[in-house]
Parts: sequence; C-alpha cells; structure tokens
Amino acid sequence: MLSGLLKRFTRQKTKSKDEAKKRLQFSLIYDKLDLNDTILMDLQNDIVDVISKYFEIDKQSLELKVKRDDNVSALVFNTPILQVRRRRA
Amino acid sequence: MEGKIIVVTSGKGGVGKTTTTSAIGAALALEGNRVAIVDMDIGLRNLDVVMGLENRIVFNIVDVVQQKCKIEQAAIRDRRIENLFLIPASQSDNKDVLSTAGIERVAEDLRKQFDYIIMDSPAGIERGFENSIVGASEALVVCTPDVSAVRDADRVIGILYSRSLTPKLIVNRIEPGRVKRGEMLSHEDVMDVLAIELAGLVPMDDKVLISSNTGTPLVLQNDSKAGQAFKRIARRLNGEADLPFEAPTDRSSMWGKISRTFGLR
Repeated sequence: MLSGLLKRFTRQKTKSKDEAKKRLQFSLIYDKLDLNDTILMDLQNDIVDVISKYFEIDKQSLELKVKRDDNVSALVFNTPILQVRRRRA
Repeated sequence: MEGKIIVVTSGKGGVGKTTTTSAIGAALALEGNRVAIVDMDIGLRNLDVVMGLENRIVFNIVDVVQQKCKIEQAAIRDRRIENLFLIPASQSDNKDVLSTAGIERVAEDLRKQFDYIIMDSPAGIERGFENSIVGASEALVVCTPDVSAVRDADRVIGILYSRSLTPKLIVNRIEPGRVKRGEMLSHEDVMDVLAIELAGLVPMDDKVLISSNTGTPLVLQNDSKAGQAFKRIARRLNGEADLPFEAPTDRSSMWGKISRTFGLR
C-alpha cells in the first residue's frame, strides 16, 4: 500500500524538457525559414497525406527538421515506413 | 608566434560568457601558453572585476585600436597566473568607436605576441558582437539548457557560419539532478536542437559566484566542478581534441541508486 501511495506521488507526468525540446525544434525551423507555425504544420500534414498514399507510416515518430551546412539549409522530413500500400489496379 | 583568436559568444546575456572566457583563458595559461583575454564589451566592462584586476587598469582596448597606446601598455598581467593578460574594455565609450580596420590591425599584432587570444563578445548580435568576431579563427558558443538561451545560440551560430566560422558549443550550468528528472534539457537535447559540435559540458556550481566575489581564478580551485570542466575545455582547445566529454553527475545519485536498490523509491 505504501509503495502504491509513493508511486502515485512520484508518477511521471510528461517531462517538461521534452516539451521544451519540441517547441525549440519547431521554432528554430520557422525562425530560419521565416515561416510561421501554421504554415509548417500545414506543410507537415500535406507531406504526410502524400506519403500516406503510397506508404503506411508511423505518424507518431515523424520528424521535420532543418539541416544546416556551411551555406546550405535543407528541409529534412524523417519518417519510419511501416508498410508499402498495395495499389489497386 | 602565430596565435589563435577564439571568440566566446552566446547571443543571450547572462549565460556565463564572461566566466567562461576568464576560466578558459586562465586554464590555457596554466597549460603553459601566453594568453590574452580581451574584453570586447565596450561600455559595459566586466572581465576586470571578475578577474580581480580592476584596480590596475591604465589603458583599454579602445586606446589600443585608436593607437593611443601599445598592446603591452594596455595588457594587465594577472596576479596569480603567469602568462595571463587582460586587455580591458573601455567603460565610457560606445561600441561604434572601434573601426573594423583598426580591430583587424590589433588582431594581427595580438597574434604575434600571444599563443591564444580569447575575445569576450557582448550579448546581442549588433555592432559589438560583429567587432568581437573580426579576426577570430575559432568560435565558442555558450548556452544554458533553457529555451531562450538555446534559441539565441542558434541565431548566433547561423551568423558565425555565414562568417565562415564553425562554432563549437559549451553547455553551461547543467544541473544533473534536474536533467535526470526531466526538468531540464540534457546536453544531448541541446546538441540535437543546435546540430553543432561540442566543446564542453559545465555543471552548475556555487563556487563560480564566490570566485567572482573575490576576483580569484575559478580554475585554481580544485574543488570547483565548473573550474575543472573549464580546464578540460582548455585542454581540448590546446590540442587534446579527443579528451572525452563527461556528463556532469549528481553527487546524490549514489544515494538514489542505493535507495532504489532497497526499494525506497
């Protein structure tokens, strides 16, 4: 019983640092592209829609990132592919 | 002599730039190098008090750039550490008094006289910051694990890249306990977000304030975790590029482990 009580008190909520990281990653992307949050969200959704036509993807773990090199910035969309969708003739 | 100019920047103020500059400069001097620390925060000079040299200022960097004195006259010799010098900022001028050509000339001269020249840049990304990166061949970006410091660091990193400098990151004031509880970004998180190479990890340390209170070098205090961390950064800069990074740990973590083993947590 005691351990149950203790567990209740120490139960992990979503870690605030994870939220910080996610928010930072997002804001840095649109800082650089001069895009706002909604445009970026729309872009991500559109990309997901297109890819979903051909593949089954893991929507939980996809990632939109801006990669930076010396003088090139690249938009990188990373998603695990679960399965190729069979196309009907 | 063909010295290296290293600029210490951050974007955001108050993340420990001045502490970092003085500690790394002192540590490099302890390694046997001839080191000049230059306070480029014109109008808001601080390195002199942090280093305990405020009573000995005669000339400053503005005088040097404007050719009112020689480098040797402005460079204050540290009281405790051999081969460590400070060229203070001017307290009365504003940032616009320095010409780029003048700074370039002084940078050239400094390189001939010192092994390492550490430039402490002002916060922000305006003229004063631009002045401090003139002539730099390496750049360090200091950042604390919070959203505003990381975002500003990213901005500065972008500007440094555009000036053909490839900065390295120092994550300062890491609190291992809070990182472990998920209350604070870990250095891995910060590196993930900023996508640059690491120069070093520095734990939160109460000794930093105490050493600045008295104007004594942090790196001479063997019981200072931050001081030891800065020493490791200096060693990496000074040729030991492969010196491994040690993530700061909590002293209480041992007790955490024991109590967990006994089912207390």
